[in-house]
Amino acid sequence: MSVFESFKYKRKDTFIHNLDPRTKLIMVIVLSAVSLMFFEIVPLLIILVINTILIAIAKSLREWYYTLKGLLYLLILVFVFNYFLVSPIFGIITVLRLLALASSFSVFFLTVHPDDLTQALIQMKIPFDYAFSLSLAIRFVPTIAQESQSIMDAQMSRGLELQKGSLIQKARNYLPILVPLIVNSIRRALQIAESLESRGFGAEEKRTYLYELKMRFSDYLVICLFLASFLLLLLDRYFLLQYLFS
Amino acid sequence: MIEIENLWYVYESGFTALKGVSIRISNGEYLAIMGKNGAGKTTLAKHLNGLLKPTRGYVLIDGMDTRDYSVAQLSRKVGYVFQNPDRFLFAESVEKELMFTLKNLGFSESEIPSLITRTLNDLNLSQFRNRSPFSLSGGERRRVALAAILCANPDYIVLDEPTVGQDFYEKERLAALLERLNKKDRRAVIVISHDVEFVADHIPRTITMSDGLIVSDGPTNKVLTNQLIIERSNLKLPQISELFTLLHEKNSHIPRDIVNIEQALEAFNKLTSSRKR
Repeated sequence: MSVFESFKYKRKDTFIHNLDPRTKLIMVIVLSAVSLMFFEIVPLLIILVINTILIAIAKSLREWYYTLKGLLYLLILVFVFNYFLVSPIFGIITVLRLLALASSFSVFFLTVHPDDLTQALIQMKIPFDYAFSLSLAIRFVPTIAQESQSIMDAQMSRGLELQKGSLIQKARNYLPILVPLIVNSIRRALQIAESLESRGFGAEEKRTYLYELKMRFSDYLVICLFLASFLLLLLDRYFLLQYLFS
Repeated sequence: MIEIENLWYVYESGFTALKGVSIRISNGEYLAIMGKNGAGKTTLAKHLNGLLKPTRGYVLIDGMDTRDYSVAQLSRKVGYVFQNPDRFLFAESVEKELMFTLKNLGFSESEIPSLITRTLNDLNLSQFRNRSPFSLSGGERRRVALAAILCANPDYIVLDEPTVGQDFYEKERLAALLERLNKKDRRAVIVISHDVEFVADHIPRTITMSDGLIVSDGPTNKVLTNQLIIERSNLKLPQISELFTLLHEKNSHIPRDIVNIEQALEAFNKLTSSRKR
């Protein structure tokens, strides 16, 4: 379940962690947009380097490494498919793009507490119900990862061998894990709903908040930096300066 | 026989859960493993059917080193009953739930129906044979989960917290079943539990753990009446032992190491007969 390592928030005191979630949202949008804009090796490598530096500043290289390790099979699969179906260079570029995207999202999820994300969305005028559902969903990713591990343990104790058989058989082997996982998730959702209601969820039209997020000078600085670079790249890519990256 | 020798286990996160545990469990034994949360009980139990492999030391099941065999192979010998039946059940009917285990473990088509019938009878589940496990009550689901392990006739049965959330009668029924498996079918039964009264009433040998180490290993009436061990394991004396400790302080002829009513009666009989003489 190491794929989920990097989507698990860990409290740390670093420059990146202390930025406002909205700043980081802009960061991740810019980074992933740029990853999708370019389809050449050098720009994608540059994005990857920037991501690495950001994650290094956030002191989260180890967690990031776990995600990449978890993604390894997917990356190999994507590489092999594109290598043979299109061309070797296409394979390399697709893998780089995937890496760049995964790292951009890692920067965000490793450094933003789910509660702060909700608060950021609310302050961006997104209705509370939607913002809250999203933060609940994120909150339960590690729980479900842990649960699927214990279900796997339980079924293995009944002789289930996941790696046995043909490709179709292998897919069917996961049925005894998926069914309890889904049933338990639905049960839990109902329990959460009841517990929310019993704590007065939605009782008042207008909520008040204990914490409010405030943008600081460093936030504005980072946002300006990212938006400016984005604008420049946009111009380069689609309008004027076509010779800068080619 | 299960031989655990100087077993160490370190989780991927770097947490050392077991720090040199050695235990011997003979065929047909009945024992409890107790200790506070995080003491390493479940980590230890998961080594018995190979779900976890030793970081250092070894675990032998009838001479088979768990590092050399898969969980599926070891599960034919060691049945592991998980605490929460909802992590377990997925099939359309109780019958299919048992069939899943039996087919996985390589039982032949001809012996499967009779094994299912026998297990369902043993566990009082015959009337639910074609029902969906999801439509059953909590206690019934728990019995189905137990049946899904017992149907394969493992020589060693490991139960993780089997008494949690059960009412008194369910516990008594479980105790009777475990006793039958142990006495009549000669199976080794290993119960992980916090339930002092349950262990005191029914289980003859007790191992207590703390911080990845074994604190004590011996007859239940010696282990569970030792104040020091009890405190180190975050447990509480069984009520009857508490009473006998107080009586012992008043009169040293009265023994302290009493954990259940049977032993108490025996002690009283001895005391009164010696008084008469």
